[in-house]
Amino acid sequence: MLALALRSMRKRPGRFAATLLSAFLGAAIIMTFNSMHDTAGQPGVDSVSAESLSTAASVVGGYGTLLVFFAVASTLTVNVRQRSAEIELLRCSGATPAQIKRMVVGESVAVALVGAVLAIGPAMLGGRALLHIFQDSGQVQRSVDYSFGPIALLSGIDITVLAAAGAAFMAVRRATRRRQPRGGARKFFAYAALAVGVAAVCSTFAFSARDAALMAPPVYGAILLSVGFALLSPRLLKGLLDRLPLSGPSGYLAVRNMRRRTDELSGVLMPLILFTCMATATLSMQAVENDAIDASGVPKSIDAKNLETLNLVVVGIIVVFSCIMLINSLYAATTYRGREFGQQRLAGATPGQVLAMVGAEGVILTVTGVFFGTLAGLAGILPFTLVRTDGTWPGQGLGIWLTIVAVAAAVTLGTSLITARRALRTPAVAAVTLAA
Amino acid sequence: MFRRARRTHESGPAPEALRLVKVSKTFGAEESAVTALDGVTLSLARGSFTAVMGPSGSGKSTLLQCAAGLDRPDSGIVMVDGAEMTGGGEAELTKFRRSRIGFVFQQYNLLPTLTVAQNTVLPLRLARRRVDRGRVREILTAVGLGDRLGHLPDQLSGGQRQRVAIARALVTEPRVIFADEPTGALDTRSARDVLRLLQEAVRVHGRTVVMVTHDPVAASYADSVVFLADGRLAGELHAPTVDAVAERLAHLGDDALMGV
Repeated sequence: MLALALRSMRKRPGRFAATLLSAFLGAAIIMTFNSMHDTAGQPGVDSVSAESLSTAASVVGGYGTLLVFFAVASTLTVNVRQRSAEIELLRCSGATPAQIKRMVVGESVAVALVGAVLAIGPAMLGGRALLHIFQDSGQVQRSVDYSFGPIALLSGIDITVLAAAGAAFMAVRRATRRRQPRGGARKFFAYAALAVGVAAVCSTFAFSARDAALMAPPVYGAILLSVGFALLSPRLLKGLLDRLPLSGPSGYLAVRNMRRRTDELSGVLMPLILFTCMATATLSMQAVENDAIDASGVPKSIDAKNLETLNLVVVGIIVVFSCIMLINSLYAATTYRGREFGQQRLAGATPGQVLAMVGAEGVILTVTGVFFGTLAGLAGILPFTLVRTDGTWPGQGLGIWLTIVAVAAAVTLGTSLITARRALRTPAVAAVTLAA
Repeated sequence: MFRRARRTHESGPAPEALRLVKVSKTFGAEESAVTALDGVTLSLARGSFTAVMGPSGSGKSTLLQCAAGLDRPDSGIVMVDGAEMTGGGEAELTKFRRSRIGFVFQQYNLLPTLTVAQNTVLPLRLARRRVDRGRVREILTAVGLGDRLGHLPDQLSGGQRQRVAIARALVTEPRVIFADEPTGALDTRSARDVLRLLQEAVRVHGRTVVMVTHDPVAASYADSVVFLADGRLAGELHAPTVDAVAERLAHLGDDALMGV
């Protein structure tokens, strides 16, 4: 079965581009930060420098693993879904579910391995650059030399390959199983995430303004809230769609399509909500923190600087990964609809009307995602601001938020419209029969 | 964009619902080129029910797609209801088709997210035309689905879906209805219902129906059968019977071999 896996990859390298890209980026980030462990572990590194380096490595390493898993899982789910016909054919030709599982897992392990090996070079450069940042800000002594050692290499490859294998296993299990309702578990996780999120946000008040860890509970609370909202989003979206006064043929179709596809749309809303929430919460909190430190008149401590660097890096990583996930799932969802677009065109829709419909759907998605992301973000920002300063509202939040919304809207609308345009290039009759 | 042909009656409908003049279409590049249509000239009167038959690869689907404005011929003229279909983009062609042409496909092509009633009125909504609910109910009742207005396509049988497709093709009151193997995926009873509805569209509503099929039984419901072989017209049969059609179809290849 592995031979089949390798052959199917050689024939269709393009299909694995998204998985390869997320594995590559994930491995690069993990290796970059874990090489700080290697650097800190060298003989002759002073304890302050070593601690700065290790903290960065541990925090981002944890995030990185989770994100690699989610990103690879998202791309693989799409990949497996697109190949459902091929998988069905294999099943009809006598492949057992276990064999299909081995094939898909084998493929993704191979892709992840390639991605991880390709990431070694960039990770070395990135690690060197990161060390310079720490040195420039005085967090690490100038005398410390960069080292890319076994920890970086092994953790990078191991985590990426394991995450890919696990994600592939789950994706194929979902695909080879007959569809079954899964409302109960989803609802449970949604409410659990919301409950724990609220508890985490509330626990912010238990900290004092000077605590170094003050930022942690609201950020984790905000993440959990956004996951909860994303899980509940199908139902929330349905409620919104019922009240939407959209007229015109394109708006009419958009609303009716989305109402029937709300479950699939939650896959798109998840990265969108997470992106908005994380970027808004972290950046605003950092701005508040900076203002508070400036106001106190005391120069920034090394800990504070570490925290800032880490926050910005974490936001950067999350932004990149959410974008990959968002683009990938939107691309897949839209490509998948070539047949539907063809049917609409045969029923008398002009290409412009189809694009307008996709655009209307994109706007509704963006508004919903941004709304819940902002809600979750604010749930974290407000308690933090209350505890850290005397005010309620962060001073410079609006500009940050507008930029984030602009990025979210550009990615969502750009991806779906460009993909739809490409799908419309196939003649309507061909589009209808191709996927049939 | 679309030239109106000279007419004897200024506002009345053209006597010919569909007219093809020397329509040719070739697929593929020079060496491996396949001529799907080779100068087909054809004229169908208003209110006629015509079946287009021929072996696989005879060009019957291409003929339908070129005539219906879904594909553009390499050369030749296509006129629907007296208006010539010229170049222009897809949007232009779509607008041309909206008021003149209705479709029925083998694979139904109903939108899975819309109910029976919503699917039926979709062409009207897309054209921003007024939706007369009473009329829609009437049409759906006429095809035997008056009690299924709120159902989704996947809650219906193949025959029922095809009847929704026919209702959708009728709702815009088009001049010509093109049906591409409308009974290809149906059992004999559902096929008979669908063919009777197409006959009714011609006899009761005065539409013109062009149906591509490979089934002599389906073709026998038409007023006449046009045979196609290797992209050319290969005869016509009026008031066809199943046996006559089958006989003619079986010997289509012989004529070509003899070089008629």
